Amino acid sequence: MGEAAIVVRGLRKTFGAKEAVAGIDLDVAAGSCAGLVGPNGAGKTTSLSMMTGLLRPDAGQVLIGGLDVWSDPRAAKAAIGVVPAGVRLFDRLSGAELLEYAGRLRGLPAAEARARAGQLLGVLDLTADAGRLVADYSTGMRKKAALGCALIHNPPVLFLDEPLEGVDPVSADVIRRLLARLAASGSTVLFSSHVMELVEQVCDHVSIIDKGRIVASGPIQQVRHGKTLQQAFIDLVGARAAGEEELSWLGSSSG
Amino acid sequence: MAWLIVGLKLRSLSNALRSSRRATISFILSTTLAAVVAAIVFTSLAVLRGHGAAVDEATAIFTAFAFGWLVLPIFAFGLDATLDPATLAPYPLRPRPLATGLLAASATGAWPLANVLGLLGVVIGLARGVPGLLIAPAAVLLQVLFCVTLARFVTTGLAGLLRSRRGKDLAAFLLLPVFACYQVLSQVVPRMAFEGKLRPASFAGLDRWLRWLPPGLAAHAVRDASSGRTGAALLSLLLLAAVTAALGWLWTGILRRALVTVDTTTQSSAVRRGALPFARYGLRGTVAARFWIYQRREPSSLIYWGIVGVVMIAASVSSLLTPSYRGALLSSAGIGAALLAIFHSNSAGMTGPAFVFEAMALTSRRALRCYFSGQNLALSVIAVPLLTAISFGLAAIAGHPAAGFLAVAVDFAGIGASMALSNIFTARLPYPTEKREGSPVRGATEGHAARALGATFGSLLGTAVAVGPVAAAEVLTSTDPAVVRIPVLLVCAAGYGIALAWAGVRIAARVAEPKLPELCQIALHSAA
Repeated sequence: MGEAAIVVRGLRKTFGAKEAVAGIDLDVAAGSCAGLVGPNGAGKTTSLSMMTGLLRPDAGQVLIGGLDVWSDPRAAKAAIGVVPAGVRLFDRLSGAELLEYAGRLRGLPAAEARARAGQLLGVLDLTADAGRLVADYSTGMRKKAALGCALIHNPPVLFLDEPLEGVDPVSADVIRRLLARLAASGSTVLFSSHVMELVEQVCDHVSIIDKGRIVASGPIQQVRHGKTLQQAFIDLVGARAAGEEELSWLGSSSG
Repeated sequence: MAWLIVGLKLRSLSNALRSSRRATISFILSTTLAAVVAAIVFTSLAVLRGHGAAVDEATAIFTAFAFGWLVLPIFAFGLDATLDPATLAPYPLRPRPLATGLLAASATGAWPLANVLGLLGVVIGLARGVPGLLIAPAAVLLQVLFCVTLARFVTTGLAGLLRSRRGKDLAAFLLLPVFACYQVLSQVVPRMAFEGKLRPASFAGLDRWLRWLPPGLAAHAVRDASSGRTGAALLSLLLLAAVTAALGWLWTGILRRALVTVDTTTQSSAVRRGALPFARYGLRGTVAARFWIYQRREPSSLIYWGIVGVVMIAASVSSLLTPSYRGALLSSAGIGAALLAIFHSNSAGMTGPAFVFEAMALTSRRALRCYFSGQNLALSVIAVPLLTAISFGLAAIAGHPAAGFLAVAVDFAGIGASMALSNIFTARLPYPTEKREGSPVRGATEGHAARALGATFGSLLGTAVAVGPVAAAEVLTSTDPAVVRIPVLLVCAAGYGIALAWAGVRIAARVAEPKLPELCQIALHSAA
């Protein structure tokens, strides 16, 4: 592995009696694209929130490009772009205004922010809707707008929490292509996802998290062990279904 | 079908009641309020007995109830699942039995019952003799049936719009006239009645045209039956029943279409294309640009500004034409500034999860100062002219336009104090918020009411204390020549306000810097 862009050591977070993240270690090499997969409630969002400075950990250290997120948040936050889970944007701004706002918040000159906003809207297939309020955007359009906001200052490291959740296939393809292009250009990307197909297509590394712990991590072929990622994931975290025998009445052949 | 839908409404009510302590308290308060309203309306109608303008007042009250049924279900659209035909569209239901069920559901609950019981006051106040006593309950029941059908007609007709973002915005704006009516009824009417400017006789002739509306037909049917014109009374009731039936027929038609019509909630319009303003002023200008746009486009922001104006006017209007007009003008200015502080005293929580978007760029104390001062600049651009105009307007109504300058001095100091207090409370006492169905503005989530109350009373008290020196200076210099006194007061008050705001920004930034992740969590826990 090359020089690590993201280093996580002993990250831990407890909410009341529930240990959401139970001391995780993670290394993501610079220029790689890593996926963080796990079942619902496994601790993906909590981990990403702590890595991006949005949630104070109980213990542990997060380094982004050698900068400690919790002792030097200013420098660390300048080096990252974030698309948080359940994207909530300033929905009374138009798409163009939102991206320009993101650029100016990140210190870009107004003209540069506007120019980049226009280019990103084009790549994200949002030019026709640039003048509409974000409040009127679909989920897929919001995700794409959020991705544009996270990219506008060209961060070396990008974090995305469930980038394809609730996104239609066309928007998903746009996001998928953009992530692949970012990874190919040498940026570091870490994202959580339920979509194994996306992780297999885009990522070179994957970490599987369950009950707040990393249960497998490494190059994707190594984690798959010759199976599909979906099967490897199910084998590691265990299939969780019960009570199906009670649904004997379900189905057209039943009475 | 009717029982099934009534059962659905009762189940939703009982589930909402059990969902939280706040819901339980709201239910108890709402039921108590319904009982109080029923008692007040019943008494108001009953005491009309023998008054010359009794039928005019009864007509006004019947019409007011119908207006309530017309407007309030628009607010309750998201609260009552049976109001939106889209929730029933997936099921194979025939429109006619469905309509009967929906009408029965509308008539279920404390408020419809309070409506019937309250209006039955006409049995005492207006009815005479056997025909009057027989016609009065029938007229009340027909009036309530008309109201229920009217409410269904309006909500079903507007369902597509009310489900959309633009419709929700429009419904939110309805809050302002309703709030203004409430202020008139609670502040102005009691004072006018106390001063003898509003008497039962003031309503004489009011029903000249109201009597031909359906509520007027109901009230006049009672009067006609009581005065021996039973035929005219029956004709009025027949006309009311026909109008209700026609409305019901139209509503069933709309309902039939709504059950098979594609949802159009994704239709939207574009805003004017242009760059964000204040580009030259760095991070402060960037934040100011966002807040400035939000003051115009966010319905809750416009509602807050409207409430500031309505309360400033309502709090002082009845004292303006009395010798105590000066005190009314100054207190109006102070109240306006205090409301400004209250409405912006939880910026992160009120912004909601989108605050995280800004927080990623707020990486230093200096950046936080820019954030708070940018917000203050955007708010001041509206607050200063708005409060100044209202103060001068009220002074003009009082007949002492020059007194407006004194109120404006309090406005200047108050606005500075409100900015400082709102910034400090945002950093010191933040709490997560949520937007409940039926309410266009955000409130504290359950378990955080104490913080919200703390910020509210702290803002009120803090503003009162902060404007105290300006009010005291105005009293102490009251004998000095106005040509010297007023410019000095205005300049000093403005300087004082700016100093307060400047200090507030610095304190708030220092408090917020180490707790930015906690502010982010509060914002993330605020439901969008």
